[in-house]
Amino acid sequence: MAINLSPQVFLFLSQILGKKIVDSTGRPWGRVCDLVVTSAEIYPPVTGVLFKPIGKKAILRFSWEKIIDLGRELIVEPANIGNQIEVPVKEGELLLKESLLDKQIVDTHGAKVLRVNDLHLLKVNHSLRLVHVDVGLRGLMRRVGWEKAMDRFFQWFFDYHLTDSLIPWRFVQPLSSPDLLRLRIAQNRLAQLHPADLADIIEELDIHKRSEVFQSLDIETAAEALEETDPKIQVRLIENLNPAHASDIIEEMSPSEAADLLGDLPKEKAEGILKEMEKEIAEDVKELLVHPEEKAGGLMTTSFPALPPQANVQEALDHLRQQAENLDLIYYLYVTDAEEHLLGVVSLRDLFTAHPQASLADLMDARVVTVTVEEGKEEIASLFAKYGFQAIPVTDEHNRIKGVITFKNLLEVVAPQLGK
Amino acid sequence: MPATRPQTTVPAAAEKISRKGFLRNLGIFFALIGPGIITSNVDNDAGGITTYSLAGSEFGLTLLWVLIPTTLALIVIQEMCARMGVVSGKGLSELIRERFGAKVTFYLMVALFLTNFGNAISNFAGVAASMEIFGVSKYISVPLSAFFVWWLVVKGSYKSVEKVFLVACFFYISYIISGFLAKPDWALIGEQLITPTIRFEADFLTMAVGLVGTTIAPWMQFYLQSSVVDKGLKAEDYQYARMDVIFGSVIVHVVAFFIIMLCAVTIFQAGIKIETAKDAALALAPLAGKYCTWLFAFGLLNASLFAASILPLSTAYTICEAFGWESSLNRKFAEAPQFYGLYSLMIFLGASVILFPNIPLIPIMFYSQVINGLLLPFVLIFILILINDRKIMGTYVNGWVLNLISYLTIIALIFLSGMMFYTSLR
Repeated sequence: MAINLSPQVFLFLSQILGKKIVDSTGRPWGRVCDLVVTSAEIYPPVTGVLFKPIGKKAILRFSWEKIIDLGRELIVEPANIGNQIEVPVKEGELLLKESLLDKQIVDTHGAKVLRVNDLHLLKVNHSLRLVHVDVGLRGLMRRVGWEKAMDRFFQWFFDYHLTDSLIPWRFVQPLSSPDLLRLRIAQNRLAQLHPADLADIIEELDIHKRSEVFQSLDIETAAEALEETDPKIQVRLIENLNPAHASDIIEEMSPSEAADLLGDLPKEKAEGILKEMEKEIAEDVKELLVHPEEKAGGLMTTSFPALPPQANVQEALDHLRQQAENLDLIYYLYVTDAEEHLLGVVSLRDLFTAHPQASLADLMDARVVTVTVEEGKEEIASLFAKYGFQAIPVTDEHNRIKGVITFKNLLEVVAPQLGK
Repeated sequence: MPATRPQTTVPAAAEKISRKGFLRNLGIFFALIGPGIITSNVDNDAGGITTYSLAGSEFGLTLLWVLIPTTLALIVIQEMCARMGVVSGKGLSELIRERFGAKVTFYLMVALFLTNFGNAISNFAGVAASMEIFGVSKYISVPLSAFFVWWLVVKGSYKSVEKVFLVACFFYISYIISGFLAKPDWALIGEQLITPTIRFEADFLTMAVGLVGTTIAPWMQFYLQSSVVDKGLKAEDYQYARMDVIFGSVIVHVVAFFIIMLCAVTIFQAGIKIETAKDAALALAPLAGKYCTWLFAFGLLNASLFAASILPLSTAYTICEAFGWESSLNRKFAEAPQFYGLYSLMIFLGASVILFPNIPLIPIMFYSQVINGLLLPFVLIFILILINDRKIMGTYVNGWVLNLISYLTIIALIFLSGMMFYTSLR
């Protein structure tokens, strides 16, 4: 048989499903209805075949090793076909048709949610491995049975050779069941996505898959993705979590984002989460919560660098280096006294170019543009536009610094009005 | 509440809310309505209005009673789709694709596209007809309206589009006003509404079937379910979605009632023969005054524009969902090319068909109706299978009472659409 002669052959799942199974004496056994793979490997090998015996309703399974030849028909050893076991799929196994074909997947390379039209398998010697997922038009037409007609039409009409759009399996995250997402926690492919892309993908999924995907993420990835997600969907995602888990995620978010989110949650839920959070972060967030979202007080973050005027440049740089991970803003360092009165501001550029022993008092710019907690977003936007700052500090009536509005914070409230 | 935190205002506020429980519920209702009302109202499109006008002017008040069982049937079907949308979070075409595979879905989508395309054409014909009553040539009105509906969706976001659509729903009131302008005999009408009359004549039966057929179309189930999903309703909010569906189904039939009634007490009594909705509008002028004509024409324009926008939108949504293409009003053209491409194709092709001189409009409508009739049974059966699938619906599957009702409804509808199919082929 031709297939046995060539060492490598590509096959599509749609070509295997429905194939007749016969033993080497030519006796028919049934038809293929699904393939089982073990999903731990990079290119999962097919380990089992599910089939429907002739005249029976039950679906049975046998091991891939019992297959002698895969050609026009599936030929098995006659002696072994008796060892069929009933369907159960073990942990770490994946049914190709049941959980992938026609279902949604995430292409982690292209950062898109797609629907699977076909699966591309590679036959090397005796083993068959899943290598690609077909998401293209050609795959769809193959399923419908018009592949050849479609090819000919494209060739004749557009003089264009239609190719398959295949995604390598290592870039594929299946979504069809929560187990599949859990399976991959160790090597969760979603975590490789940029948080903003991940947020887009989460928004695109249906309500159930959204929570499943979100809950499969590690805390840090979840927090980053959550920051980029639409506020309404944020609320849904957090509502489905228990307070302890929710507070872990919210702690990782920037305080201003966390406050916006908690402000949108039902009061009881928000209080429950605040109780579970670390004291210090919870205090920060509570402070931000009292301000309306569209005013300066609601936009600002409380996680910004501030040092006394006596500190020198070296100390300031060390401080930034240590705290950078937790700060929402590192480009400006605010100079404050013991009562948190805002005295001046030093930029990172100033710090880099100044002498390490110079004191901040000498270096700082005392003419700081500030806004009050009550300032509206339009006014703030025009200040940003006028001065070209990265951030603007927010002070109370006694010039005590309450927080800082970063350009990113502002952009989030202004962007929806910019139009498409 | 811990004594350390003196929050005396909270209990007071809570009490205020609970006292205003009804108002609050009403508030939630208005925040969550939309899908059901919009879907039902689009159903009264140019084709629907034509059917109602013909029913009223040919058979008087005798067909009014058909509206009552139709309302119930519409509620039963739409409720199942709304429930599927809320519970599964997926559109109907998505569910069909995942449950029944690519092949079935593909042919279903081709059929849906063809029948919806026919409907889109008939709605641009409705725009042309209604604007001609106001003295505007179709060569001006059709391109302008096509561009308007296209621009509305391509440049707008879902929120703004939905608002425009809800306003369009409101304008159906013009039919109700014109109904009152005719000063009908309400006692007689009430009596006719609750008296089922059947005449075993081919014309009468065809018209009765046509009334039902124009109200329950395959695209509606897809559109309703997708927009319920788009709203992001939770299972707890399901009761509001159901109210929305019931409210919408009733409203649509109130409008239908007024159109049939208006044509019955005027055109039918005067014994005038009409063939289109435009004829009906024009015939009203000497019988009920020119304002009545204008209102009727305005209603037709509104309905046609509304449907000319939603039908292509619904088609694009449904097809993209089934094939896993990007589909959202909140995306840009380049991000969702298939979605906007299908939408634009239907609108511009649909509109240009109307502008062609000597276009065989009747055969186009005819074949689109035939496909519609063929498609409906499949869609209804798929809905029944899906709604009873515990893997998808969990505890929200149909109970036996609901299953009995929906089986009966669906058998009746399949029978009727089969009859319509048969009569239209003859």
